[in-house]
Amino acid sequence: MDFQAIVDRLKAVQAPGIVEVGEPRPADKAAKDKGRSGQPFVRVEPDALVEFLTICRDEPHLRFEMLVDICASDPGKDEPELWILIQLLSVELRHRLFIKAHLPKEAPRMPTTTAVYRAAQWHERECAEMFGVTFEGHPDPRHILLPDDWEGHPLRKDYEFPTQYRGISCD
Amino acid sequence: MALLREAFKENVLTTKVDWLLNWSKAHSLWPMTFGLACCAIEMMAAGASHHDLDRFGAGAFRATPRQADLMIVAGTVNFKMGERVKRLYDQMASPKYVIAMGACATGGGPYHTYGYSVMKGVDRIIPVDVYIAGCPPRPEALLEGLMKLQDKIRRSNVIRKPASGG
Repeated sequence: MDFQAIVDRLKAVQAPGIVEVGEPRPADKAAKDKGRSGQPFVRVEPDALVEFLTICRDEPHLRFEMLVDICASDPGKDEPELWILIQLLSVELRHRLFIKAHLPKEAPRMPTTTAVYRAAQWHERECAEMFGVTFEGHPDPRHILLPDDWEGHPLRKDYEFPTQYRGISCD
Repeated sequence: MALLREAFKENVLTTKVDWLLNWSKAHSLWPMTFGLACCAIEMMAAGASHHDLDRFGAGAFRATPRQADLMIVAGTVNFKMGERVKRLYDQMASPKYVIAMGACATGGGPYHTYGYSVMKGVDRIIPVDVYIAGCPPRPEALLEGLMKLQDKIRRSNVIRKPASGG
Protein backbone atom coordinates (compact mmCIF):
# COMPACT_ATOMS: atom_id res chain seq x y z
CA MET A 1 0.00 0.00 0.00
CA ASP A 2 1.21 3.52 -0.66
CA PHE A 3 1.08 6.28 1.90
CA GLN A 4 -2.28 7.67 0.85
CA ALA A 5 -3.90 4.23 0.99
CA ILE A 6 -2.50 3.67 4.49
CA VAL A 7 -3.90 7.02 5.64
CA ASP A 8 -7.28 6.26 4.09
CA ARG A 9 -7.33 2.91 5.84
CA LEU A 10 -6.39 4.50 9.17
CA LYS A 11 -9.23 6.97 8.78
CA ALA A 12 -11.67 4.23 7.74
CA VAL A 13 -11.00 2.25 10.92
CA GLN A 14 -11.16 5.50 12.93
CA ALA A 15 -7.64 5.40 14.33
CA PRO A 16 -7.64 7.88 17.20
CA GLY A 17 -5.58 11.03 17.63
CA ILE A 18 -4.60 11.94 14.07
CA VAL A 19 -3.68 15.63 14.12
CA GLU A 20 -2.04 16.14 10.75
CA VAL A 21 -1.09 14.22 7.64
CA GLY A 22 2.26 15.40 6.32
CA GLU A 23 2.60 15.89 2.60
CA PRO A 24 5.38 14.26 0.59
CA ARG A 25 8.39 16.43 -0.11
CA PRO A 26 7.56 19.40 -2.38
CA ALA A 27 9.20 19.36 -5.81
CA ASP A 28 10.55 22.85 -5.24
CA LYS A 29 13.56 22.51 -2.97
CA ALA A 30 13.36 26.08 -1.68
CA ALA A 31 9.84 25.50 -0.44
CA LYS A 32 10.93 22.51 1.63
CA ASP A 33 10.24 22.79 5.35
CA LYS A 34 13.27 23.20 7.55
CA GLY A 35 14.06 19.97 9.35
CA ARG A 36 11.88 17.84 7.09
CA SER A 37 13.46 14.88 5.38
CA GLY A 38 10.60 14.74 2.91
CA GLN A 39 9.08 11.51 4.16
CA PRO A 40 5.30 11.67 4.39
CA PHE A 41 4.17 11.20 7.96
CA VAL A 42 1.16 11.02 10.21
CA ARG A 43 1.15 13.24 13.26
CA VAL A 44 -0.64 11.75 16.24
CA GLU A 45 -1.67 13.02 19.65
CA PRO A 46 0.89 11.59 22.16
CA ASP A 47 -1.77 10.29 24.55
CA ALA A 48 -3.48 8.36 21.74
CA LEU A 49 -0.27 6.73 20.54
CA VAL A 50 -0.71 3.40 22.29
CA GLU A 51 -4.18 2.86 20.88
CA PHE A 52 -3.04 4.15 17.47
CA LEU A 53 -0.10 1.73 17.35
CA THR A 54 -2.30 -1.16 18.44
CA ILE A 55 -4.55 -0.51 15.45
CA CYS A 56 -1.52 -0.25 13.13
CA ARG A 57 -0.31 -3.62 14.37
CA ASP A 58 -3.60 -5.52 14.45
CA GLU A 59 -5.62 -4.09 11.54
CA PRO A 60 -5.52 -6.83 8.87
CA HIS A 61 -4.93 -4.39 5.99
CA LEU A 62 -2.05 -2.63 7.72
CA ARG A 63 -0.29 -5.37 9.72
CA PHE A 64 2.74 -3.36 10.87
CA GLU A 65 4.37 -6.22 12.72
CA MET A 66 7.73 -4.54 13.14
CA LEU A 67 8.77 -1.42 15.01
CA VAL A 68 11.88 -0.18 13.22
CA ASP A 69 12.76 2.78 15.39
CA ILE A 70 11.62 5.29 17.94
CA CYS A 71 13.74 8.38 18.08
CA ALA A 72 13.37 11.96 19.15
CA SER A 73 14.50 15.23 17.66
CA ASP A 74 15.04 18.69 19.04
CA PRO A 75 14.19 20.99 16.11
CA GLY A 76 15.80 24.09 17.60
CA LYS A 77 16.64 26.07 20.69
CA ASP A 78 13.65 28.41 20.32
CA GLU A 79 11.13 25.72 19.40
CA PRO A 80 8.76 24.89 22.28
CA GLU A 81 8.31 21.22 21.32
CA LEU A 82 10.29 18.03 20.91
CA TRP A 83 9.43 15.55 18.18
CA ILE A 84 9.00 11.85 18.73
CA LEU A 85 9.46 9.91 15.49
CA ILE A 86 8.27 6.34 15.10
CA GLN A 87 8.89 4.12 12.10
CA LEU A 88 6.80 1.06 11.45
CA LEU A 89 7.34 -1.62 8.85
CA SER A 90 5.12 -4.36 7.54
CA VAL A 91 7.38 -7.09 6.24
CA GLU A 92 4.44 -9.05 4.97
CA LEU A 93 2.69 -6.25 3.07
CA ARG A 94 5.90 -4.35 2.25
CA HIS A 95 4.94 -0.90 3.41
CA ARG A 96 6.16 1.59 5.95
CA LEU A 97 4.65 4.32 8.06
CA PHE A 98 6.28 7.30 9.74
CA ILE A 99 4.52 8.60 12.82
CA LYS A 100 5.28 11.84 14.56
CA ALA A 101 4.22 13.21 17.93
CA HIS A 102 4.96 16.60 19.44
CA LEU A 103 5.76 16.88 23.14
CA PRO A 104 6.21 20.13 25.07
CA LYS A 105 9.87 20.68 26.06
CA GLU A 106 8.81 21.88 29.49
CA ALA A 107 7.55 18.46 30.58
CA PRO A 108 7.93 15.91 27.79
CA ARG A 109 5.96 12.85 28.84
CA MET A 110 4.06 10.19 26.96
CA PRO A 111 2.79 6.70 27.74
CA THR A 112 5.19 3.87 26.97
CA THR A 113 4.55 1.86 23.82
CA THR A 114 6.28 -1.28 25.09
CA ALA A 115 2.92 -2.97 25.62
CA VAL A 116 2.35 -2.84 21.85
CA TYR A 117 5.89 -3.41 20.58
CA ARG A 118 8.42 -4.93 22.99
CA ALA A 119 11.19 -3.61 20.74
CA ALA A 120 10.32 -0.14 21.97
CA GLN A 121 12.03 -0.72 25.32
CA TRP A 122 15.59 0.15 24.32
CA HIS A 123 14.57 2.92 21.92
CA GLU A 124 12.55 4.57 24.65
CA ARG A 125 15.40 4.28 27.14
CA GLU A 126 17.68 6.04 24.67
CA CYS A 127 15.13 8.80 24.03
CA ALA A 128 14.69 9.18 27.78
CA GLU A 129 18.35 9.76 28.54
CA MET A 130 19.22 11.77 25.44
CA PHE A 131 16.19 14.07 25.39
CA GLY A 132 14.69 13.82 28.86
CA VAL A 133 11.41 12.32 27.70
CA THR A 134 9.53 10.46 30.41
CA PHE A 135 7.82 7.29 29.20
CA GLU A 136 5.15 6.58 31.75
CA GLY A 137 4.90 2.92 32.68
CA HIS A 138 8.21 1.85 31.15
CA PRO A 139 9.21 -1.52 32.65
CA ASP A 140 12.95 -0.75 32.91
CA PRO A 141 13.65 2.99 32.97
CA ARG A 142 17.44 2.85 33.51
CA HIS A 143 20.05 4.59 31.36
CA ILE A 144 21.06 2.51 28.37
CA LEU A 145 24.18 4.23 26.96
CA LEU A 146 25.27 6.89 29.42
CA PRO A 147 26.68 6.13 32.88
CA ASP A 148 24.02 5.80 35.58
CA ASP A 149 25.03 9.01 37.34
CA TRP A 150 25.08 11.18 34.20
CA GLU A 151 23.34 14.53 34.51
CA GLY A 152 21.55 16.34 31.71
CA HIS A 153 20.25 15.25 28.33
CA PRO A 154 23.04 15.57 25.76
CA LEU A 155 21.03 15.77 22.54
CA ARG A 156 18.87 18.65 23.67
CA LYS A 157 19.86 21.91 21.99
CA ASP A 158 20.01 23.67 25.37
CA TYR A 159 22.40 21.06 26.81
CA GLU A 160 25.32 22.48 28.75
CA PHE A 161 28.53 20.48 28.48
CA PRO A 162 29.90 19.13 31.75
CA THR A 163 33.12 20.65 33.10
CA GLN A 164 34.14 17.48 34.92
CA TYR A 165 32.95 13.92 35.41
CA ARG A 166 33.88 12.09 38.64
CA GLY A 167 36.83 14.39 39.10
CA ILE A 168 38.14 14.00 35.54
CA SER A 169 38.29 17.38 33.84
CA CYS A 170 36.48 17.77 30.52
CA ASP A 171 38.43 20.79 29.26
CA MET B 1 75.27 -31.52 38.49
CA ALA B 2 78.31 -33.57 37.72
CA LEU B 3 76.71 -34.50 34.44
CA LEU B 4 76.09 -30.87 33.52
CA ARG B 5 79.43 -29.52 34.68
CA GLU B 6 81.13 -29.90 31.35
CA ALA B 7 78.05 -29.36 29.18
CA PHE B 8 78.15 -25.54 29.00
CA LYS B 9 81.85 -25.19 28.63
CA GLU B 10 81.71 -23.48 25.27
CA ASN B 11 78.20 -22.06 25.54
CA VAL B 12 78.42 -19.58 28.39
CA LEU B 13 77.67 -15.93 27.74
CA THR B 14 78.51 -13.22 30.16
CA THR B 15 76.44 -10.03 30.30
CA LYS B 16 75.03 -7.43 32.66
CA VAL B 17 71.86 -8.29 34.56
CA ASP B 18 70.19 -5.03 33.56
CA TRP B 19 70.94 -5.64 29.92
CA LEU B 20 69.51 -9.15 30.12
CA LEU B 21 66.37 -8.00 31.93
CA ASN B 22 65.81 -5.14 29.50
CA TRP B 23 66.45 -7.36 26.51
CA SER B 24 63.90 -9.92 27.67
CA LYS B 25 61.32 -7.29 28.62
CA ALA B 26 61.67 -5.38 25.37
CA HIS B 27 61.34 -8.47 23.21
CA SER B 28 58.42 -10.14 24.94
CA LEU B 29 55.88 -7.34 25.20
CA TRP B 30 52.61 -9.18 25.40
CA PRO B 31 49.76 -6.79 24.64
CA MET B 32 46.31 -7.10 26.10
CA THR B 33 43.54 -8.03 23.68
CA PHE B 34 41.20 -5.11 23.57
CA GLY B 35 40.24 -2.42 21.12
CA LEU B 36 37.89 0.51 21.54
CA ALA B 37 37.30 1.85 18.03
CA CYS B 38 38.66 2.02 14.48
CA CYS B 39 42.30 2.15 15.70
CA ALA B 40 41.76 -1.43 16.82
CA ILE B 41 41.29 -2.42 13.16
CA GLU B 42 44.72 -1.00 12.36
CA MET B 43 46.10 -2.78 15.42
CA MET B 44 44.68 -6.06 14.12
CA ALA B 45 46.25 -5.32 10.73
CA ALA B 46 49.57 -4.75 12.48
CA GLY B 47 49.17 -8.11 14.19
CA ALA B 48 48.32 -9.94 10.98
CA SER B 49 50.81 -11.55 8.61
CA HIS B 50 51.59 -8.56 6.38
CA HIS B 51 53.01 -6.35 9.16
CA ASP B 52 53.53 -9.12 11.72
CA LEU B 53 53.81 -7.61 15.19
CA ASP B 54 55.38 -10.87 16.31
CA ARG B 55 58.71 -9.85 14.74
CA PHE B 56 59.10 -7.59 17.77
CA GLY B 57 57.88 -10.17 20.25
CA ALA B 58 54.64 -8.27 20.71
CA GLY B 59 52.27 -10.55 18.84
CA ALA B 60 51.07 -12.66 21.75
CA PHE B 61 47.81 -10.86 22.49
CA ARG B 62 46.62 -12.07 25.89
CA ALA B 63 42.94 -12.16 26.74
CA THR B 64 43.56 -11.31 30.37
CA PRO B 65 45.28 -8.34 32.00
CA ARG B 66 47.14 -10.66 34.36
CA GLN B 67 49.27 -12.08 31.55
CA ALA B 68 49.80 -8.83 29.68
CA ASP B 69 52.70 -6.38 29.85
CA LEU B 70 51.46 -3.81 27.39
CA MET B 71 48.17 -2.00 27.08
CA ILE B 72 47.55 -0.58 23.61
CA VAL B 73 44.68 1.86 24.06
CA ALA B 74 43.42 1.71 20.49
CA GLY B 75 40.43 3.98 20.12
CA THR B 76 38.06 6.46 21.72
CA VAL B 77 37.93 6.33 25.51
CA ASN B 78 34.68 7.64 26.91
CA PHE B 79 33.97 8.15 30.57
CA LYS B 80 31.99 4.96 30.94
CA MET B 81 34.77 2.92 29.32
CA GLY B 82 37.51 4.87 31.12
CA GLU B 83 36.48 3.33 34.39
CA ARG B 84 36.93 -0.15 32.91
CA VAL B 85 40.25 0.77 31.28
CA LYS B 86 41.55 1.97 34.65
CA ARG B 87 40.42 -1.24 36.33
CA LEU B 88 42.12 -3.39 33.68
CA TYR B 89 45.32 -1.36 33.98
CA ASP B 90 45.29 -1.89 37.74
CA GLN B 91 44.97 -5.64 37.23
CA MET B 92 48.09 -5.86 35.07
CA ALA B 93 51.29 -6.99 36.77
CA SER B 94 54.32 -4.70 36.83
CA PRO B 95 56.37 -3.87 34.84
CA LYS B 96 53.58 -2.60 32.59
CA TYR B 97 53.51 -0.17 29.71
CA VAL B 98 50.83 1.84 27.93
CA ILE B 99 50.69 2.99 24.33
CA ALA B 100 48.06 5.63 23.50
CA MET B 101 47.28 4.83 19.89
CA GLY B 102 45.74 7.51 17.71
CA ALA B 103 44.23 10.94 18.19
CA CYS B 104 41.33 9.87 20.46
CA ALA B 105 43.41 8.08 23.06
CA THR B 106 46.00 10.87 22.94
CA GLY B 107 43.72 13.86 23.36
CA GLY B 108 40.11 13.20 22.45
CA GLY B 109 40.69 13.49 18.70
CA PRO B 110 37.72 14.60 16.60
CA TYR B 111 35.49 14.39 19.69
CA HIS B 112 37.50 16.98 21.57
CA THR B 113 35.04 19.87 21.24
CA TYR B 114 31.60 18.27 21.06
CA GLY B 115 32.13 14.79 22.46
CA TYR B 116 30.34 15.27 25.74
CA SER B 117 31.06 11.69 26.83
CA VAL B 118 34.63 11.37 25.54
CA MET B 119 37.66 11.61 27.78
CA LYS B 120 40.20 14.07 26.38
CA GLY B 121 43.09 11.64 26.47
CA VAL B 122 43.60 8.37 28.29
CA ASP B 123 46.54 9.91 30.19
CA ARG B 124 43.95 11.50 32.49
CA ILE B 125 43.44 8.14 34.17
CA ILE B 126 46.54 6.01 33.47
CA PRO B 127 50.22 6.85 32.77
CA VAL B 128 51.13 6.67 29.08
CA ASP B 129 54.59 5.74 27.80
CA VAL B 130 54.25 6.33 24.07
CA TYR B 131 51.77 8.43 22.09
CA ILE B 132 51.11 7.63 18.43
CA ALA B 133 49.69 10.30 16.14
CA GLY B 134 47.19 9.50 13.40
CA CYS B 135 43.49 8.99 12.88
CA PRO B 136 43.86 6.08 12.77
CA PRO B 137 47.64 5.54 12.62
CA ARG B 138 48.80 3.12 9.96
CA PRO B 139 50.22 -0.20 11.18
CA GLU B 140 53.73 1.12 10.44
CA ALA B 141 53.09 3.92 12.92
CA LEU B 142 52.12 1.40 15.58
CA LEU B 143 55.33 -0.53 14.88
CA GLU B 144 57.27 2.72 15.19
CA GLY B 145 55.60 3.40 18.54
CA LEU B 146 56.40 -0.12 19.67
CA MET B 147 60.07 0.36 18.75
CA LYS B 148 60.09 3.65 20.65
CA LEU B 149 58.76 1.80 23.68
CA GLN B 150 61.47 -0.84 23.28
CA ASP B 151 64.07 1.95 23.22
CA LYS B 152 62.59 3.29 26.42
CA ILE B 153 62.71 -0.14 28.08
CA ARG B 154 66.35 -0.60 27.04
CA ARG B 155 67.21 2.62 28.86
CA SER B 156 65.69 1.44 32.14
CA ASN B 157 67.70 0.16 35.09
CA VAL B 158 66.59 -2.34 37.69
CA ILE B 159 69.79 -3.47 39.41
CA ARG B 160 72.09 -0.52 38.92
CA LYS B 161 70.43 2.78 39.69
CA PRO B 162 71.57 5.60 37.43
CA ALA B 163 73.80 8.30 38.86
CA SER B 164 71.98 11.43 39.95
CA GLY B 165 70.66 13.42 37.06
CA GLY B 166 71.19 10.53 34.68
